[in-house]
Amino acid sequence: MIAHAASPRVVLAKIGLDGHDRGVKVVARGLRDAGFHVIYAGLWQPIEAVVQTVLDEDADWLGISLLSGAHMTLIPPLMDKLRQNGLDRVGVLIGGIIPEKDVPKLLELGVRSVAGPGTTIPEIVERMHQPEEHPAVEDLIRRFRQKDRRALARLLTLASRGEALDALRHELAERPKSCRVAAFTGSGGVGKSSLIGRSVELLRSRNQSVAVLCCDPESPLTGGALLGDRLRIAKPADDAGVFIRSLATPGGQQAIAKNLDVMMALLAAYGFDTVILETVGAGQGDTAVREQSDVLVVLLQPESGDELQWEKAGLLEVADIVVVHKADLPGSDRMAAQVHEHLNLPGARPIPVLKASAAKGQGLEELWAKIEEPRG
Amino acid sequence: MASPVVEIGNGTRAAALPVPDRADPATTVSGVPIAPLYTGDDLARLGITESATIGRPGQFPFTRGIHEAMYRGRLWTMRQFAGFGTPRQTNERFRFLLEKGQTGLSTAFDLPTLMGLDSDCPQSRGEVGRLGVAVDTIDDMRQLFAEIDLEQISVSMTINAPAAVIMAFYLAAAREAGWDWRKLRGTIQNDILKEFHAQNEIVFPPEPSVRLVIDLIEFCAEHVPQWNTVSISGYHIREAGSTAVQELAFTLADGIHYVEQSLSRGLDVDTVGRRLSFFFNAHNDVFEEIAKYRAARSLWADVMRNRFYAREESSCKLRFHAQTAGCSLQDRQPEVNLMRVAYQALAAVLGGCQSLHSNSMDETLALPSEHAVTLALRTQQVLAYETGVVNTPDPLGGSYFVETLTAQMRKQAEDYFEQIDHQGGMLAAIDSGFFRREIADAAFTYQKSVDKREKIIVGVNAFEEDEQKSIDILQIDEGPEEEQLRNLARAKKSRNNSAVERALAAVKRAAERKENVFPALMEAASARATVYETMSALADVLGRLETGGLS
Repeated sequence: MIAHAASPRVVLAKIGLDGHDRGVKVVARGLRDAGFHVIYAGLWQPIEAVVQTVLDEDADWLGISLLSGAHMTLIPPLMDKLRQNGLDRVGVLIGGIIPEKDVPKLLELGVRSVAGPGTTIPEIVERMHQPEEHPAVEDLIRRFRQKDRRALARLLTLASRGEALDALRHELAERPKSCRVAAFTGSGGVGKSSLIGRSVELLRSRNQSVAVLCCDPESPLTGGALLGDRLRIAKPADDAGVFIRSLATPGGQQAIAKNLDVMMALLAAYGFDTVILETVGAGQGDTAVREQSDVLVVLLQPESGDELQWEKAGLLEVADIVVVHKADLPGSDRMAAQVHEHLNLPGARPIPVLKASAAKGQGLEELWAKIEEPRG
Repeated sequence: MASPVVEIGNGTRAAALPVPDRADPATTVSGVPIAPLYTGDDLARLGITESATIGRPGQFPFTRGIHEAMYRGRLWTMRQFAGFGTPRQTNERFRFLLEKGQTGLSTAFDLPTLMGLDSDCPQSRGEVGRLGVAVDTIDDMRQLFAEIDLEQISVSMTINAPAAVIMAFYLAAAREAGWDWRKLRGTIQNDILKEFHAQNEIVFPPEPSVRLVIDLIEFCAEHVPQWNTVSISGYHIREAGSTAVQELAFTLADGIHYVEQSLSRGLDVDTVGRRLSFFFNAHNDVFEEIAKYRAARSLWADVMRNRFYAREESSCKLRFHAQTAGCSLQDRQPEVNLMRVAYQALAAVLGGCQSLHSNSMDETLALPSEHAVTLALRTQQVLAYETGVVNTPDPLGGSYFVETLTAQMRKQAEDYFEQIDHQGGMLAAIDSGFFRREIADAAFTYQKSVDKREKIIVGVNAFEEDEQKSIDILQIDEGPEEEQLRNLARAKKSRNNSAVERALAAVKRAAERKENVFPALMEAASARATVYETMSALADVLGRLETGGLS
């Protein structure tokens, strides 16, 4: 296996109103295959949201795509905002239709590179492979103590790569864990990110701060990953009470579990009230996730078949709460009844089975009431 | 004003690469393998015969064209998409194009308008009048078509999420100016589904978005009988990187969804069917494109007759507009784009289009200059009057190669229909991200083949020039944005605000009751409600799509 310790982290975003996302999606896939961890932030991103994403994701590079011709209106405030947040070292690459006369102006603003039509993926990879200097661990830990969000973001990166673990464990040992950790798991397409998005809204309306860790598997061949979960979690652009972090998880789940404890401790020590952990479901990795969380929520969705697919049964065994998601679809009542019957045998520990729909905003209050119930 | 012209270009390039190898086996631009030779055996193997499958021009299933005489009877409409700056500036460009011999108008709106915003919304800053014309109120609509005879000239409007609002502006403006609705001819794109697949100009969630599409279809079917109420578009799907087959299949699947929804509203299949139109891309691969148009016609005829039981032939005829592929244009050696556009336009005409936009050579650099747009129009005129390709309908009908490709594409499109049905239909497939994933994967596959020089792009990965020759391009300055902000401020100042509020309340009421919102939209337009105000009233009831819906 190739060591993927230093996969560069790239945030890709579209700013302004234009929806032409062919280029940015092609670049996202190209960088993934070149071993990058690519966080796709999506369309119509306000400047503030882009900067927050770059900061929280500890990005090495920011790729901005725009084909609307509004670059000379939008890029200067973007570059200012990056500088104000101490993100000068982040390389900025602009892709799209940029007239040649504007290129020198953009470079003068601090943009590292402009990639017009006809730029190949290998050319973009080449430009983004310039190494960056990072502050020393001691310095990061000192700043972390002062609640420096950039330091938190960087330390999470180090922890995920298995670097500086001793120093971090030492630092975090004396801090009592004080936040609630809820893990959401379920197979792809079940709507984990959407439900988490709604959960974040609910928690913020109660003035709780919340951190979300979105885990997605990386390619075992290249170490690259395309991480798009955060774009399903809508939040106000300038809300510092929400921290969203995309994580690429290597094939062997135990490795991530080991460092997950450090990441959780970092977020707790930083002071978040709630941490939500999102993982692709199925498999023994979930038991490792189980150890890191106070509550494990398993999401299912109504199925067209008559019988519950029992390969999911193993996953249900470890659940604290089961949510039948997309409850607006037909078959959700039957599904909930089947799961309830399966799980709540006489004498077994009772497991609540709830129905929810992120699309309709249903079932959120009940879900969080259950998550926040004291348990033994 | 828009004109100071600047020079761009002059970057030096690395030394030119050697003459490239040609891919073996040959594939189309979509990656479909092409056999070394096609013969009568291929037709026999696929069961293709003139009587059973191909048919004749003007006869069901219209594979060879929707008219018996095709261009011998009437040429296609030469319709160049235009719009920039203020309504006054675009009106000038429209009249310039009509003077040059263009036979129909096609309106490009700016991004704020396409997203249902006004010029004075904060998100609009820097985008007002930049990629199209800014329209905020009915007064802008009146200015846009001032001194143009709308009962004689057909008008196309490319707008989707706010289509119902803009169409209400148009009809209310026509009423004020004294035009007869029954004589108005034109097309409004009004195709929201492909926005979810590819183009991303979206305001409301899918289900209520489609409801608005059907509201417009329903209203115009009764009151504006010559209007094409939806232009079901594959163009943008292709531009987003799909293959030719995906373009064909997803577009027709969208059409099927609109017809289903219209029928479930109680509309008559033939009333709806005869006003549907289509819009396809004209890409580089000449024969693949021709086969795509031919397959589209025969598939749609089949769908209308055998799936929806259309009684009238006119409902079974797939009429389409074509535009040459914007995504095929290159910024290196931009004049070479003239040749690309000419071959693409040839494919569209050999494929039997009803109207055509040919791109200008400078469109990767800016909106077209007058010089470039004139050359683009002249390209069509050469095709129509000099090349002789118009002299007989479907000149490639019966070609072993073209008929085989046509049959293959039909089959592959039908396979996609099945996949979509299998996922629970159009809205379920949108929700699962099916279309977006298929298209993005195809775009990536294509880009990799370009990067590896398996697909050759002249001037980009082969036959490069050391020196870039510059061409003159159109510059749009900040002037229009300021002028439009003044127009809007004036409109807001001179209107009766309580009448606007009443009209917007009526829009909301209609939306809440799930009535056809169109009459209420028209009253709001007449009261001088803006695009953003009207869209917000609708969004209060229909909801707004969060970006999270689009991965």
